[in-house]
Amino acid sequence: MIEKKVLIYTTPTCVYCKMSKDFFAKNGVAYEEKNVVADEAARKEMVDKSHQLGVPVIDIGGEIIVGFNREELEKALGLGGAGR
Amino acid sequence: MYDLIIAGGGPAGVAAGVYAARKKMKTLVVTDSFGGQSLVSADIQNWIGTKNISGFELAQNLEGHLRAQEGIEILNDKVVEVFKSEGGSFRVGVKGGKNFETKAFLICSGSRRRRLGIPGEDRLDGKGVAFCSTCDAPIFSGKMVAVVGGGNAGLEAAVDLLPYATKIYLLEKMGFLRGDAVTEERLRADSKINIMTEVESVEVMGDNFVSGLKYRDLKTGEEKNLSVEGLFVEIGSVPNSDFVKDLVELNKFGEIVADPRTQASSVSGIWAVGDVSDGLYKQNNIAAGDAVKAVLNIQEYLNKF
Repeated sequence: MIEKKVLIYTTPTCVYCKMSKDFFAKNGVAYEEKNVVADEAARKEMVDKSHQLGVPVIDIGGEIIVGFNREELEKALGLGGAGR
Repeated sequence: MYDLIIAGGGPAGVAAGVYAARKKMKTLVVTDSFGGQSLVSADIQNWIGTKNISGFELAQNLEGHLRAQEGIEILNDKVVEVFKSEGGSFRVGVKGGKNFETKAFLICSGSRRRRLGIPGEDRLDGKGVAFCSTCDAPIFSGKMVAVVGGGNAGLEAAVDLLPYATKIYLLEKMGFLRGDAVTEERLRADSKINIMTEVESVEVMGDNFVSGLKYRDLKTGEEKNLSVEGLFVEIGSVPNSDFVKDLVELNKFGEIVADPRTQASSVSGIWAVGDVSDGLYKQNNIAAGDAVKAVLNIQEYLNKF
Protein backbone atom coordinates (compact mmCIF):
# COMPACT_ATOMS: atom_id res chain seq x y z
CA MET A 1 0.00 0.00 0.00
CA ILE A 2 0.92 3.66 -0.17
CA GLU A 3 3.38 4.62 2.54
CA LYS A 4 5.09 7.58 0.88
CA LYS A 5 4.44 10.96 2.50
CA VAL A 6 2.44 13.17 0.14
CA LEU A 7 2.62 16.96 0.33
CA ILE A 8 0.88 19.35 -2.07
CA TYR A 9 1.59 23.07 -2.46
CA THR A 10 -1.46 24.98 -3.68
CA THR A 11 -3.16 28.29 -4.30
CA PRO A 12 -6.89 28.52 -3.49
CA THR A 13 -7.85 29.50 -7.07
CA CYS A 14 -5.87 26.82 -8.90
CA VAL A 15 -8.04 24.27 -10.69
CA TYR A 16 -5.17 21.80 -11.24
CA CYS A 17 -4.62 21.82 -7.46
CA LYS A 18 -8.30 20.88 -7.00
CA MET A 19 -7.98 18.14 -9.62
CA SER A 20 -4.91 16.75 -7.85
CA LYS A 21 -6.71 16.74 -4.49
CA ASP A 22 -9.76 15.10 -6.12
CA PHE A 23 -7.42 12.44 -7.51
CA PHE A 24 -5.97 11.80 -4.02
CA ALA A 25 -9.46 11.59 -2.51
CA LYS A 26 -10.67 9.12 -5.15
CA ASN A 27 -7.62 6.93 -4.63
CA GLY A 28 -7.61 7.11 -0.82
CA VAL A 29 -4.27 8.92 -0.66
CA ALA A 30 -3.67 10.87 2.57
CA TYR A 31 -1.88 14.17 1.97
CA GLU A 32 -0.75 17.36 3.63
CA GLU A 33 -1.61 20.66 1.92
CA LYS A 34 0.32 23.93 2.11
CA ASN A 35 -1.33 27.10 0.80
CA VAL A 36 1.51 29.16 -0.67
CA VAL A 37 -0.58 32.35 -0.71
CA ALA A 38 -1.15 32.39 3.05
CA ASP A 39 2.18 30.80 3.99
CA GLU A 40 5.26 32.63 2.71
CA ALA A 41 7.68 30.04 4.11
CA ALA A 42 5.80 27.33 2.18
CA ARG A 43 6.10 29.40 -1.01
CA LYS A 44 9.89 29.59 -0.57
CA GLU A 45 10.04 25.87 0.24
CA MET A 46 8.03 25.08 -2.93
CA VAL A 47 10.33 27.18 -5.14
CA ASP A 48 13.44 25.64 -3.55
CA LYS A 49 12.14 22.12 -4.16
CA SER A 50 10.82 22.60 -7.71
CA HIS A 51 13.02 25.45 -9.02
CA GLN A 52 9.93 27.03 -10.57
CA LEU A 53 6.94 29.22 -9.72
CA GLY A 54 3.83 27.27 -10.80
CA VAL A 55 1.31 25.34 -8.71
CA PRO A 56 0.51 22.64 -7.87
CA VAL A 57 3.83 21.21 -6.74
CA ILE A 58 3.45 17.70 -5.35
CA ASP A 59 6.12 16.06 -3.20
CA ILE A 60 5.70 12.28 -3.06
CA GLY A 61 8.36 10.89 -0.74
CA GLY A 62 10.91 13.35 -2.16
CA GLU A 63 9.87 12.93 -5.81
CA ILE A 64 8.73 16.33 -7.11
CA ILE A 65 5.87 16.59 -9.63
CA VAL A 66 4.86 19.95 -11.08
CA GLY A 67 1.28 20.32 -12.35
CA PHE A 68 -1.55 17.75 -12.44
CA ASN A 69 -0.48 14.70 -14.42
CA ARG A 70 -2.56 11.59 -13.68
CA GLU A 71 -0.02 9.13 -15.15
CA GLU A 72 2.93 10.62 -13.22
CA LEU A 73 0.95 10.58 -9.98
CA GLU A 74 -0.13 6.97 -10.49
CA LYS A 75 3.47 5.98 -11.15
CA ALA A 76 4.91 7.84 -8.17
CA LEU A 77 2.22 6.41 -5.87
CA GLY A 78 2.42 2.93 -7.34
CA LEU A 79 -1.29 2.90 -8.20
CA GLY A 80 -0.91 1.16 -11.56
CA GLY A 81 -3.77 2.90 -13.29
CA ALA A 82 -6.38 1.90 -10.70
CA GLY A 83 -7.76 5.44 -10.56
CA ARG A 84 -8.80 5.61 -14.17
CA MET B 1 -18.38 -0.28 -35.85
CA TYR B 2 -19.53 2.92 -34.15
CA ASP B 3 -22.12 5.26 -35.63
CA LEU B 4 -20.20 8.22 -34.26
CA ILE B 5 -16.87 8.94 -32.61
CA ILE B 6 -16.52 12.33 -30.93
CA ALA B 7 -13.03 13.72 -30.25
CA GLY B 8 -13.01 16.13 -27.29
CA GLY B 9 -14.70 16.75 -23.94
CA GLY B 10 -15.31 20.49 -23.91
CA PRO B 11 -18.76 22.06 -24.22
CA ALA B 12 -18.94 20.93 -27.87
CA GLY B 13 -17.95 17.30 -27.26
CA VAL B 14 -20.33 16.95 -24.32
CA ALA B 15 -23.27 18.63 -26.11
CA ALA B 16 -22.69 16.31 -29.06
CA GLY B 17 -22.49 13.26 -26.79
CA VAL B 18 -25.74 14.09 -25.00
CA TYR B 19 -27.63 14.57 -28.28
CA ALA B 20 -26.09 11.48 -29.88
CA ALA B 21 -27.08 9.36 -26.87
CA ARG B 22 -30.66 10.65 -27.03
CA LYS B 23 -30.74 9.73 -30.73
CA LYS B 24 -29.51 6.24 -29.73
CA MET B 25 -26.46 6.45 -31.95
CA LYS B 26 -23.73 3.97 -31.02
CA THR B 27 -21.28 6.60 -29.81
CA LEU B 28 -17.75 6.76 -28.41
CA VAL B 29 -16.41 9.98 -26.87
CA VAL B 30 -12.61 10.13 -26.71
CA THR B 31 -11.25 12.76 -24.35
CA ASP B 32 -8.48 13.09 -21.77
CA SER B 33 -10.19 15.95 -19.92
CA PHE B 34 -13.50 17.74 -19.56
CA GLY B 35 -14.50 21.40 -19.67
CA GLY B 36 -12.26 22.66 -22.46
CA GLN B 37 -10.20 25.80 -22.07
CA SER B 38 -12.64 27.40 -19.61
CA LEU B 39 -11.48 24.86 -17.04
CA VAL B 40 -9.06 27.40 -15.57
CA SER B 41 -11.52 30.33 -15.53
CA ALA B 42 -12.15 31.58 -12.01
CA ASP B 43 -15.68 32.75 -12.74
CA ILE B 44 -17.74 32.26 -15.92
CA GLN B 45 -20.66 34.70 -16.04
CA ASN B 46 -22.04 34.06 -19.53
CA TRP B 47 -22.87 30.33 -19.59
CA ILE B 48 -26.55 30.70 -20.36
CA GLY B 49 -28.89 29.53 -17.61
CA THR B 50 -26.25 29.89 -14.90
CA LYS B 51 -25.54 33.30 -13.30
CA ASN B 52 -21.97 32.40 -12.54
CA ILE B 53 -19.90 29.26 -12.26
CA SER B 54 -16.20 28.40 -11.94
CA GLY B 55 -14.52 26.62 -14.84
CA PHE B 56 -13.86 23.65 -12.57
CA GLU B 57 -17.53 23.32 -11.62
CA LEU B 58 -18.62 23.73 -15.25
CA ALA B 59 -16.22 20.93 -16.22
CA GLN B 60 -17.66 18.68 -13.50
CA ASN B 61 -21.22 19.46 -14.62
CA LEU B 62 -20.37 18.72 -18.24
CA GLU B 63 -18.72 15.41 -17.35
CA GLY B 64 -21.65 14.48 -15.09
CA HIS B 65 -24.19 15.29 -17.81
CA LEU B 66 -22.35 13.13 -20.35
CA ARG B 67 -21.84 10.19 -17.97
CA ALA B 68 -25.56 10.26 -17.12
CA GLN B 69 -26.44 9.33 -20.72
CA GLU B 70 -27.43 5.75 -21.23
CA GLY B 71 -25.39 3.74 -23.71
CA ILE B 72 -22.62 6.26 -24.28
CA GLU B 73 -19.02 5.02 -24.18
CA ILE B 74 -16.30 7.33 -22.89
CA LEU B 75 -12.59 6.61 -23.38
CA ASN B 76 -9.96 8.51 -21.37
CA ASP B 77 -7.52 8.98 -24.26
CA LYS B 78 -6.76 11.27 -27.17
CA VAL B 79 -7.36 10.84 -30.92
CA VAL B 80 -4.03 11.01 -32.75
CA GLU B 81 -4.85 9.76 -36.26
CA VAL B 82 -7.78 9.29 -38.62
CA PHE B 83 -7.83 7.35 -41.88
CA LYS B 84 -10.47 6.70 -44.54
CA SER B 85 -11.52 3.05 -44.62
CA GLU B 86 -13.26 0.96 -47.31
CA GLY B 87 -16.99 1.60 -47.66
CA GLY B 88 -17.01 5.20 -46.42
CA SER B 89 -16.17 4.61 -42.76
CA PHE B 90 -13.14 5.90 -40.84
CA ARG B 91 -10.46 4.29 -38.70
CA VAL B 92 -9.70 6.40 -35.62
CA GLY B 93 -6.46 5.77 -33.72
CA VAL B 94 -5.89 6.92 -30.13
CA LYS B 95 -2.69 7.71 -28.23
CA GLY B 96 -3.04 4.52 -26.16
CA GLY B 97 -2.63 2.52 -29.39
CA LYS B 98 -6.19 1.22 -30.00
CA ASN B 99 -8.09 1.70 -33.27
CA PHE B 100 -11.84 2.07 -33.78
CA GLU B 101 -14.07 2.05 -36.87
CA THR B 102 -16.82 4.62 -37.20
CA LYS B 103 -19.35 5.75 -39.79
CA ALA B 104 -19.18 9.41 -38.73
CA PHE B 105 -16.46 11.39 -36.97
CA LEU B 106 -17.02 14.66 -35.12
CA ILE B 107 -14.00 16.80 -34.21
CA CYS B 108 -14.41 18.89 -31.05
CA SER B 109 -10.72 18.99 -30.11
CA GLY B 110 -10.64 22.73 -29.39
CA SER B 111 -7.48 24.76 -29.30
CA ARG B 112 -4.40 25.24 -27.17
CA ARG B 113 -2.56 28.34 -25.99
CA ARG B 114 -0.45 30.25 -28.48
CA ARG B 115 3.12 30.93 -27.38
CA LEU B 116 5.21 34.03 -28.10
CA GLY B 117 7.99 32.10 -29.83
CA ILE B 118 10.71 34.45 -28.56
CA PRO B 119 14.07 33.61 -26.93
CA GLY B 120 13.83 32.77 -23.23
CA GLU B 121 10.14 31.81 -23.29
CA ASP B 122 10.64 28.02 -23.27
CA ARG B 123 13.72 28.05 -21.06
CA LEU B 124 11.98 30.14 -18.38
CA ASP B 125 8.58 28.40 -18.67
CA GLY B 126 7.36 27.96 -15.10
CA LYS B 127 10.26 30.06 -13.89
CA GLY B 128 8.33 33.30 -14.18
CA VAL B 129 6.77 32.65 -17.60
CA ALA B 130 3.21 31.62 -16.78
CA PHE B 131 0.14 30.58 -18.75
CA CYS B 132 -2.46 30.23 -15.96
CA SER B 133 -3.15 33.46 -14.10
CA THR B 134 -5.91 32.02 -11.92
CA CYS B 135 -3.46 29.34 -10.77
CA ASP B 136 -0.26 31.24 -10.36
CA ALA B 137 -1.10 34.94 -9.81
CA PRO B 138 -0.80 34.72 -5.98
CA ILE B 139 2.77 33.45 -6.25
CA PHE B 140 3.74 36.82 -7.75
CA SER B 141 2.74 38.60 -4.57
CA GLY B 142 4.85 41.73 -4.09
CA LYS B 143 6.46 41.39 -7.54
CA MET B 144 6.35 43.41 -10.77
CA VAL B 145 4.87 41.49 -13.70
CA ALA B 146 3.99 41.86 -17.37
CA VAL B 147 0.95 40.50 -19.19
CA VAL B 148 1.30 40.08 -22.95
CA GLY B 149 -1.96 40.32 -24.89
CA GLY B 150 -4.67 42.97 -24.82
CA GLY B 151 -7.66 40.73 -25.57
CA ASN B 152 -10.10 39.43 -22.95
CA ALA B 153 -7.70 36.76 -21.70
CA GLY B 154 -4.94 39.32 -21.14
CA LEU B 155 -7.29 41.74 -19.41
CA GLU B 156 -8.58 38.98 -17.13
CA ALA B 157 -5.03 37.90 -16.29
CA ALA B 158 -4.32 41.50 -15.24
CA VAL B 159 -7.45 41.44 -13.06
CA ASP B 160 -6.30 38.17 -11.45
CA LEU B 161 -2.92 39.78 -10.69
CA LEU B 162 -4.33 43.03 -9.24
CA PRO B 163 -4.57 41.83 -5.61
CA TYR B 164 -1.00 40.51 -5.62
CA ALA B 165 1.47 42.20 -7.99
CA THR B 166 2.92 45.61 -7.16
CA LYS B 167 3.00 46.72 -10.80
CA ILE B 168 1.40 45.23 -13.90
CA TYR B 169 2.48 46.14 -17.42
CA LEU B 170 -0.12 45.15 -20.01
CA LEU B 171 1.43 44.89 -23.48
CA GLU B 172 -0.53 44.91 -26.74
CA LYS B 173 0.72 44.94 -30.33
CA MET B 174 -2.23 46.90 -31.72
CA GLY B 175 -2.95 50.53 -30.90
CA PHE B 176 -5.87 49.60 -28.62
CA LEU B 177 -7.11 46.90 -26.24
CA ARG B 178 -9.48 44.30 -27.69
CA GLY B 179 -11.30 43.00 -24.61
CA ASP B 180 -14.60 43.84 -22.93
CA ALA B 181 -15.04 47.55 -22.15
CA VAL B 182 -16.16 46.71 -18.58
CA THR B 183 -12.85 45.01 -17.77
CA GLU B 184 -10.76 47.66 -19.52
CA GLU B 185 -12.42 50.46 -17.50
CA ARG B 186 -11.71 48.61 -14.27
CA LEU B 187 -8.04 48.23 -15.19
CA ARG B 188 -7.60 51.82 -16.38
CA ALA B 189 -8.93 53.04 -13.00
CA ASP B 190 -6.13 51.23 -11.13
CA SER B 191 -2.77 52.97 -10.65
CA LYS B 192 -0.95 49.59 -10.53
CA ILE B 193 -1.70 49.02 -14.22
CA ASN B 194 0.45 50.42 -16.98
CA ILE B 195 -1.14 49.81 -20.39
CA MET B 196 1.38 49.81 -23.25
CA THR B 197 0.03 49.61 -26.80
CA GLU B 198 1.91 49.23 -30.10
CA VAL B 199 4.68 47.23 -28.43
CA GLU B 200 6.10 43.80 -29.26
CA SER B 201 7.87 41.35 -26.93
CA VAL B 202 11.39 40.50 -28.09
CA GLU B 203 13.08 38.38 -25.41
CA VAL B 204 12.46 37.02 -21.93
CA MET B 205 15.50 37.79 -19.78
CA GLY B 206 16.77 35.92 -16.72
CA ASP B 207 19.17 33.21 -15.57
CA ASN B 208 17.29 30.79 -13.32
CA PHE B 209 14.14 32.90 -13.09
CA VAL B 210 12.62 35.71 -15.15
CA SER B 211 14.23 39.06 -14.40
CA GLY B 212 12.97 41.15 -17.29
CA LEU B 213 11.26 41.47 -20.64
CA LYS B 214 12.85 43.10 -23.66
CA TYR B 215 10.29 44.73 -25.93
CA ARG B 216 10.18 46.88 -29.05
CA ASP B 217 8.23 50.11 -29.34
CA LEU B 218 6.58 49.71 -32.76
CA LYS B 219 6.17 53.47 -33.22
CA THR B 220 9.88 54.28 -32.83
CA GLY B 221 11.50 50.86 -33.41
CA GLU B 222 13.38 51.34 -30.15
CA GLU B 223 14.12 48.32 -27.90
CA LYS B 224 13.66 48.72 -24.15
CA ASN B 225 13.68 46.56 -21.02
CA LEU B 226 11.00 46.08 -18.39
CA SER B 227 12.19 44.87 -15.02
CA VAL B 228 9.66 42.13 -14.17
CA GLU B 229 9.77 38.78 -12.38
CA GLY B 230 6.66 37.38 -13.99
CA LEU B 231 5.37 37.18 -17.55
CA PHE B 232 1.83 36.02 -18.30
CA VAL B 233 1.29 35.07 -21.95
CA GLU B 234 -2.30 35.55 -23.18
CA ILE B 235 -2.06 35.91 -26.95
CA GLY B 236 -4.79 33.64 -28.22
CA SER B 237 -4.84 30.05 -29.32
CA VAL B 238 -3.86 27.48 -31.95
CA PRO B 239 -6.45 24.92 -33.16
CA ASN B 240 -5.83 21.24 -32.31
CA SER B 241 -6.23 20.07 -35.89
CA ASP B 242 -2.80 18.44 -36.45
CA PHE B 243 -4.20 14.89 -36.51
CA VAL B 244 -6.44 15.62 -39.52
CA LYS B 245 -4.29 18.17 -41.35
CA ASP B 246 -3.72 15.84 -44.31
CA LEU B 247 -7.34 14.70 -44.42
CA VAL B 248 -9.65 17.74 -44.26
CA GLU B 249 -9.38 21.29 -45.54
CA LEU B 250 -7.88 23.78 -43.08
CA ASN B 251 -7.78 27.57 -43.40
CA LYS B 252 -4.55 29.58 -43.04
CA PHE B 253 -4.92 29.58 -39.24
CA GLY B 254 -5.09 25.77 -39.14
CA GLU B 255 -8.83 25.81 -38.36
CA ILE B 256 -10.99 23.13 -39.99
CA VAL B 257 -13.20 24.66 -42.66
CA ALA B 258 -16.80 23.77 -41.80
CA ASP B 259 -20.13 24.56 -43.47
CA PRO B 260 -21.81 27.01 -41.06
CA ARG B 261 -25.24 25.44 -41.77
CA THR B 262 -24.24 21.87 -40.86
CA GLN B 263 -20.64 21.98 -39.49
CA ALA B 264 -19.67 19.42 -42.17
CA SER B 265 -15.97 19.49 -43.14
CA SER B 266 -14.60 19.15 -46.67
CA VAL B 267 -14.68 15.34 -46.26
CA SER B 268 -18.04 13.57 -46.27
CA GLY B 269 -18.48 11.81 -42.89
CA ILE B 270 -16.37 14.25 -40.87
CA TRP B 271 -17.74 17.27 -38.99
CA ALA B 272 -15.93 19.94 -36.95
CA VAL B 273 -17.27 22.15 -34.18
CA GLY B 274 -16.10 24.80 -31.70
CA ASP B 275 -12.63 26.33 -31.44
CA VAL B 276 -11.04 23.83 -33.83
CA SER B 277 -13.41 24.92 -36.60
CA ASP B 278 -13.34 28.13 -38.63
CA GLY B 279 -16.43 29.58 -36.91
CA LEU B 280 -15.99 33.33 -36.42
CA TYR B 281 -16.53 33.44 -32.66
CA LYS B 282 -14.97 31.21 -30.02
CA GLN B 283 -17.52 30.82 -27.22
CA ASN B 284 -18.72 27.98 -24.97
CA ASN B 285 -22.36 28.61 -25.86
CA ILE B 286 -21.64 28.68 -29.59
CA ALA B 287 -19.53 25.50 -29.41
CA ALA B 288 -22.36 23.67 -27.65
CA GLY B 289 -24.99 24.91 -30.12
CA ASP B 290 -22.88 24.12 -33.17
CA ALA B 291 -22.28 20.61 -31.80
CA VAL B 292 -26.03 20.01 -31.57
CA LYS B 293 -26.40 21.25 -35.15
CA ALA B 294 -23.67 18.82 -36.26
CA VAL B 295 -25.24 15.81 -34.50
CA LEU B 296 -28.64 16.47 -36.08
CA ASN B 297 -26.94 16.64 -39.47
CA ILE B 298 -24.98 13.47 -38.67
CA GLN B 299 -28.26 11.68 -37.94
CA GLU B 300 -29.50 12.51 -41.44
CA TYR B 301 -26.18 11.24 -42.83
CA LEU B 302 -26.41 7.96 -40.86
CA ASN B 303 -29.96 7.34 -42.07
CA LYS B 304 -28.58 7.24 -45.63
CA PHE B 305 -25.32 5.41 -44.80
